Amino acid sequence: MRFLFVAIGLLLGGTAVAATPDEVVQQAVRAFAPKAKIEAAQESPVPGFYEAIVGSEFIYVSKDGRYMLDGSAFDVANKRDLTQESRAKVRKVALDKVGPDKRIVFAPKAPLQARHTITVFTDVDCPFCRRFHEQIAAYNAKGIAVDYLFFPLSIHPGADKKAQAVWCSKDREGAFTSAMAGKDPGNATCPNPIAETADLAQSLGIGATPTIIGPDGVQIPNQVAMSPDALAAELDRQAAATAAKN
Amino acid sequence: MNVRLSAALVASIAVACAAGAAQANDTPAQSAARKVLADLAPQARIDAVETAPMPGFQQVIVGGQLIYVSDDGKYVMQGKLFDTGARRDLTGARLAVDVKKKLDAVSQAKRIVFAPAGKPQYKITVFTDLDCGYCRKLHSQIAAYNQRGIEVDYLFFPRAGIGSASYDKAVSVWCAKDRKAAFTAAKAGQTPPALKCDNPVADEFALGGQVGVDGTPAIYSADGHKVGGYLDPDQMVAKLKSLATPTLAER
Repeated sequence: MRFLFVAIGLLLGGTAVAATPDEVVQQAVRAFAPKAKIEAAQESPVPGFYEAIVGSEFIYVSKDGRYMLDGSAFDVANKRDLTQESRAKVRKVALDKVGPDKRIVFAPKAPLQARHTITVFTDVDCPFCRRFHEQIAAYNAKGIAVDYLFFPLSIHPGADKKAQAVWCSKDREGAFTSAMAGKDPGNATCPNPIAETADLAQSLGIGATPTIIGPDGVQIPNQVAMSPDALAAELDRQAAATAAKN
Repeated sequence: MNVRLSAALVASIAVACAAGAAQANDTPAQSAARKVLADLAPQARIDAVETAPMPGFQQVIVGGQLIYVSDDGKYVMQGKLFDTGARRDLTGARLAVDVKKKLDAVSQAKRIVFAPAGKPQYKITVFTDLDCGYCRKLHSQIAAYNQRGIEVDYLFFPRAGIGSASYDKAVSVWCAKDRKAAFTAAKAGQTPPALKCDNPVADEFALGGQVGVDGTPAIYSADGHKVGGYLDPDQMVAKLKSLATPTLAER
């Protein structure tokens, strides 16, 4: 009999310890935001903490569920921004799923070759998006292929209609370039991926345009990306770092 | 990414004063935390190193921020730490205690005070720059804040630093015979006649760096919570009310 009680005790104790990261995170987050959706919960390198994605935010929850950190984690010994790396992984997986049929692609033309491909969330009515596209030939000349995804912002009324008109033009690339130069793209309509790519941006925690993401899913600061030279150098650096890791 | 780790962290730590030397009564974990901060931000002044609420971590107060360092000195976390059971923002609460202590140390004589006629319901400390647009907007509504029971205590924080034109104006206002009138006139865009005298402007600027002022106006409640930047009088009352709620989760 005593044995049985001990066994049950062990079993219950065991169950409590074996709560999954999902269960621990659920419980912790529920206290603050009952409706929040836990996208993922997993072990993290930070001792005693799980890493989780809630909505589009990264949080850290202590394994006993008592503490939740809304912020970032760093591995100081190896100089790594762990949150940024996790965010990049999630973005890469999500962007890899977006087929070429949902992008507007400006790739270097032969004899130029693409050395890097970046994804740019863009809006025809955003001034910095326009300035970025003015330099498209220079990016291509540096071996950078630019894949645009539409993310018309609600602060630019009508930008979604323009995006659709561009998408539905016969010459999609040409229409994109002239809309970026401020020309009215007309009002063609057709089935299009704009709502989908805009939702994707939001689910990845992207709230502004242009948002420029490198091949590894790492967001590149606009002040770097607005210069073709600086962007090429940054992409070379990232590629070298990735090669060194693998 | 390597470079950016330190950049992200260090940029957020206001750089001021000398590095904190190791302390005799530090635990090994606290020495490790001090060393991590010294590596990340050698110029930053460490205000406190203490045991963090969650096991296995120390917390460091530096430049008005709280940084969590694992006991082995290998990991750093930065952000808001919540107690999920009590639904409490532990980071905000701890920083507020520190800020309140520092702000309370500033005597009334060193503030420029605009108080309501009766007993104030709320008191805010506002780090201000005579040449900042939202600071001017705030002061143009000073009567409305006062009418809502808010006492506004100004401290100077000339963003461009000691010796800048805004700094000189602040000193001139401080040294004017009618300080409050000179302050209000300068806020309305008038250039105060150049004056010099003993003044607390440089001290207040340094204090701003220590409590985490990262722009002006920077507004703090009487219990040391960072209220943020400009809010109109009604928004300000609402925000101060919400801050008074003890189990607030500021998200």
